[in-house]
Amino acid sequence: MEVRSRAFARYAQRALSDKALQAALNGATGRLSALRAAAIAAFPGYDAARERASAVKEDTLARLDEQLARFIEEASRRGAVVHVARDAAQAREIAVGIAKEEGISLAVKSKSMVAEEVDLNAALQEAGVEVVESDLGEYIVQLAGEPPSHIIVPAVHKTRGEISRLFETRLGEPPTDSIPRLVATARKRLREKFLSAGMGITGANFLVAETGSVVLLTNEGNGRMGTTLPRVHLAVTGIEKVLPRMSDLPVFLRLLPRSATGQPLTSYVSILTGTRREGDPEGPERLHILLVDGGRSAILEGKYREMLKCIRCGACLNACPVYQNVGGHAYGWVYPGPMGAVLTPLLTGLAESSPLPDASTLCGACAEVCPVKIPLPHFLLELRADVREQGLKTPGEIAGMKMLASVMKRAGLLEAAERILGALSQFLSRGNPISGLPYPFAGWTERRDFPAAAKRPFRKEWKIRRGVRE
Amino acid sequence: MDPKGPVPVSLFFTCLADAFAPGVCFATVEVLERFGAQVRVPLSQTCCGQPAFNTGNRKEARAMARKFLRSFPEDGYIVTPSGSCASMVKHGYPVLFRDEPRTLALARAASERIYELSQFLVEVLGVTDPKSSFTGKVTYHDSCHLRRGLGVVDPPRTLLRAIPGVKLVEMEESDRCCGFGGVFSVKHPQVSCRMTEQKIERILATGASYVTAGDLGCLLSIGGMISRHGYPVKAVHLAEILAGAPWDAEEAF
Repeated sequence: MEVRSRAFARYAQRALSDKALQAALNGATGRLSALRAAAIAAFPGYDAARERASAVKEDTLARLDEQLARFIEEASRRGAVVHVARDAAQAREIAVGIAKEEGISLAVKSKSMVAEEVDLNAALQEAGVEVVESDLGEYIVQLAGEPPSHIIVPAVHKTRGEISRLFETRLGEPPTDSIPRLVATARKRLREKFLSAGMGITGANFLVAETGSVVLLTNEGNGRMGTTLPRVHLAVTGIEKVLPRMSDLPVFLRLLPRSATGQPLTSYVSILTGTRREGDPEGPERLHILLVDGGRSAILEGKYREMLKCIRCGACLNACPVYQNVGGHAYGWVYPGPMGAVLTPLLTGLAESSPLPDASTLCGACAEVCPVKIPLPHFLLELRADVREQGLKTPGEIAGMKMLASVMKRAGLLEAAERILGALSQFLSRGNPISGLPYPFAGWTERRDFPAAAKRPFRKEWKIRRGVRE
Repeated sequence: MDPKGPVPVSLFFTCLADAFAPGVCFATVEVLERFGAQVRVPLSQTCCGQPAFNTGNRKEARAMARKFLRSFPEDGYIVTPSGSCASMVKHGYPVLFRDEPRTLALARAASERIYELSQFLVEVLGVTDPKSSFTGKVTYHDSCHLRRGLGVVDPPRTLLRAIPGVKLVEMEESDRCCGFGGVFSVKHPQVSCRMTEQKIERILATGASYVTAGDLGCLLSIGGMISRHGYPVKAVHLAEILAGAPWDAEEAF
């Protein structure tokens, strides 16, 4: 997917003036946050579970090579063909190769962020394979020709009216304001696809090294149908999804849905181990597992390693007041919100996405809800420092900061600066709050005032009142 | 309280309060002295370096942080009427100087001695009643760095509730960011303003006459929007409420 994160500010402004988007976003993120909070409050073992999940991830990342080798060995032993792609281009090439080799003309796909990351649909469609998204939200954004705007709720930005109009224009359905009717329409359309598709494509929430299993959590059953009905199953996922043992899985099965949607468990948990064996009533004849590196090994080596603990629950998106107002598309790539503001620069490079680390007030709400304890605000700060180090800051900002630091190095200079500031602001405001600041602060005063500087700063006044000699 | 005598406290008045709200600094001194602190005001202090640190300008942040460390005596507490500045010293300094062992030791020492005002009163001095004379219906905004950075949730509420004339009314999502975010409010003013508007809706819904917080930054944004639109509520720093009336109306943000 093309990275458009440099235009964050422009997209954010556009999102702010989109009334339907605002209504949809604020409602949904608020509801999801409330559901999460209630589910966590009703989960007495939350702190311990969080500690354990974080520790399992830490431990796995510390010996990821070993875990991956184990996973590949065990999955292969059970009939899967495991492929490893170092980057997006190679991932596309492998996936297209599999589709051709298996003679696939139609594929049903359940939600996979990694597939978005490597732009899988476009590559398959170019190779003559029709790809139909089967997650309801993904289906909606696919019909709209848009990328998902949330990692859990892809169509979170759409109102039911917009979805009805979309179904009307793209599917020729009569307009309706009934959500069950909309769902029924999608279900009917998708059912046909499930039954005729040659390949089911999924992501993976977890991989279990011990058994070579692919674990999927879904709420719509589409993951289950896509992995059992078609002849071929292709699972596309990141190399960081591996867990050492099956006994490591339950804690994540409890944390992920609670953090994402407030559910104690998702409606469907599929643990897919190997291909269909003799006597099995269902399951794919062929199972391909495509493990994508795409920059993850590099993250593993550096100071942002903990970012690979992310289980894509989306809690940080829902908790983030910036995401709540600008939505996922403003972030300009696959991963939005606080996790995306960290992950996108790490995967695409800061040159492509330098505004993202600034898209946060550092309020810390994201870290508070992260079930695996990723220090997101800390990483945002580190990335901001990297922006400076990589020479991606504007000369104006650097000059401004240098000036600030040189003034702040001496209290006397600060006092002189305050005298100028005081005189200037008293002149501008005549003692009232200032309603118009000059560039680059003009945006500040568009909808709010700024206080005039005090006639006498505290330091000066203190010296006078306490008789301190200059 | 310490039975051995006055508790030595250095006031970190913050560059923002110095220039824009001296009343907040005086209120802080008044409250600290009321509870037996021996307040020193190091006059060579400037800024903790947070603006530079939060924008990734580490070199400049280090220069400012070094100046901070030089300006404060090496003993006693450091108290400030700002959750975010305290959080900067506490959590930011160890990051800034992680590769400079000598300064890191100084930074760690400072980070252990620094407290936000309400936190200091309650956790160190054991104050349960601020003996303030403030009157009015007040709602409290949890500044992000005070609440999540320093973990201070109850102390300001305990103190506010103990003031006979104050009726504390909680707003919805008092811990939701007000949108200030320092440089964020300059880089993304539209998003920032939207968040501030949402905060003000929740403030107004309480019917409070005053909104207070332990961070001047939040109050600049909230108060600035109140002032622009003439909303029927005043933004007052927590220190001023703790100090009590007469509260100078000209100090409104």
